[in-house]
Amino acid sequence: MIVENVGVRYRVRNRLFSHSYFDALSGVSFEVNEGETLGVIGRNGCGKSTLLKVLAGIYAPDSGRVIRDGKKVSLLALGVGFDLDLSGEDNALLSAMFLGFSYSEAKSRIGAIREFSELGSFFDEPMKTYSTGMRSRLGFAVAITMHSDVLLIDEVLSVGDAQFRVKAETAISDRVSSRQTVVLVSHSGVQVEKMCQRVIWLEGGRILKEGDPKVIVPEYEKFIQTGKVA
Amino acid sequence: MRFEARSFVELLAVKVRMNLKAEASRTYLSFLWWLLEPALLVIVLYVVFSVFLNRGTEHFVVFLLCGLIPFQWFSKSVSNCSMCIRSGAGLINQIYIPKVFFPLVVIFQDLFKALITIALFLVFVILYGMPLHLTWLAIPALVLVQLLVNATVAIFVAMVVPFIPDLRFLVSTALLLMMYGSGIFYSYKDVLLEEHQAIFLMNPIANIIRLYREVIIDNAWPDWTALLLISLVSVCFLCLFSWILHRNDSRYARLVLE
Repeated sequence: MIVENVGVRYRVRNRLFSHSYFDALSGVSFEVNEGETLGVIGRNGCGKSTLLKVLAGIYAPDSGRVIRDGKKVSLLALGVGFDLDLSGEDNALLSAMFLGFSYSEAKSRIGAIREFSELGSFFDEPMKTYSTGMRSRLGFAVAITMHSDVLLIDEVLSVGDAQFRVKAETAISDRVSSRQTVVLVSHSGVQVEKMCQRVIWLEGGRILKEGDPKVIVPEYEKFIQTGKVA
Repeated sequence: MRFEARSFVELLAVKVRMNLKAEASRTYLSFLWWLLEPALLVIVLYVVFSVFLNRGTEHFVVFLLCGLIPFQWFSKSVSNCSMCIRSGAGLINQIYIPKVFFPLVVIFQDLFKALITIALFLVFVILYGMPLHLTWLAIPALVLVQLLVNATVAIFVAMVVPFIPDLRFLVSTALLLMMYGSGIFYSYKDVLLEEHQAIFLMNPIANIIRLYREVIIDNAWPDWTALLLISLVSVCFLCLFSWILHRNDSRYARLVLE
């Protein structure tokens, strides 16, 4: 996947016929190689989430382009299109189809989703009977079971109780260490240094530095503490 | 990223089915309400117009329902569509989906319920003592043409409201105007001046209501020219609106968050 000179400009509506502009991203170019885990770090509001939305095709860039070569790129999102009046199974089916899978593909993964979610008989109950933890467990089960070619992960996910969180983190790091292409966005340097082969540091909507996490992450941490770029 | 056409159609079908299922699960009598709601309307109108007011006009209840049922179908589709893209904001910001999905779900969900209502209405007409007639075979054609009109207006509203949220209030006013301007409570032939009738019939809903009445009450074949003309104009606008919506598809994700 190649990102070429991407810019995103938000239009902020002040009053009737009065607008101001805000550049969330400008001139961002990089490549995501197949099978690698690319980290994106930066402070809050530096454009990380906007970048992920552009990669996922949710936002169209205002300038530049993203070349996907027909690959399926999707955001690891919890509870896509969930309806509380429907059962866990119906929601899993719908959610998988929203992620771009056909009916038969979605149907064939239901068993795996049921198993991963550990919901037991609750899987057939309406989702309004679920606790918050159970909802996010189902959401995570769908997201991790329905593979796409490039997986985009935003921050660390908080899912369910401690035991399930361990399982979720293991599933993510399995994904990261496998041949799966992953773009991981985080404001925590530690996680990125542990998981990524390459890292991009975003600041004010531009790429500040790019390269080996072992070099970039300590610089980033120092910047966070002192507010100065080395 | 683009949806494959087949996956999109499958998703649409599943979503409509699931929405109906969810809607049914919210009440004790579940899907019986799709029959009960129109049935109650019929009872109220029957009591008010045939018993209390004892209106002189023959078959006034049937006349009224011929107007009210198609209009309510139209009105519900349009008003449900006015907020449909905005209420999909969460979804729009998690995945890529062609935005035409949202109005289409509403349109087909409302179609399903309208079909039940129309079937029930026809049963009522027979029980009321009006004979079944061969011209009723034209009803599916009328329903299809109305579906086109509904879809055209509904997609237009769904497409425009996210850009100018204030229009939402005008939509309900416009629907109220339509209600009084479509000849639901009166026959345009009795009320309007001769020279105004042609203008009145340019309103596609008024025209379709007239056609429903010709078929169901007068047992005449509908005005095929009018039907064809309405379909052609609708299809043209439907294509135009779908194209505009498609061209602007990527703008909605940011628009719904503003």
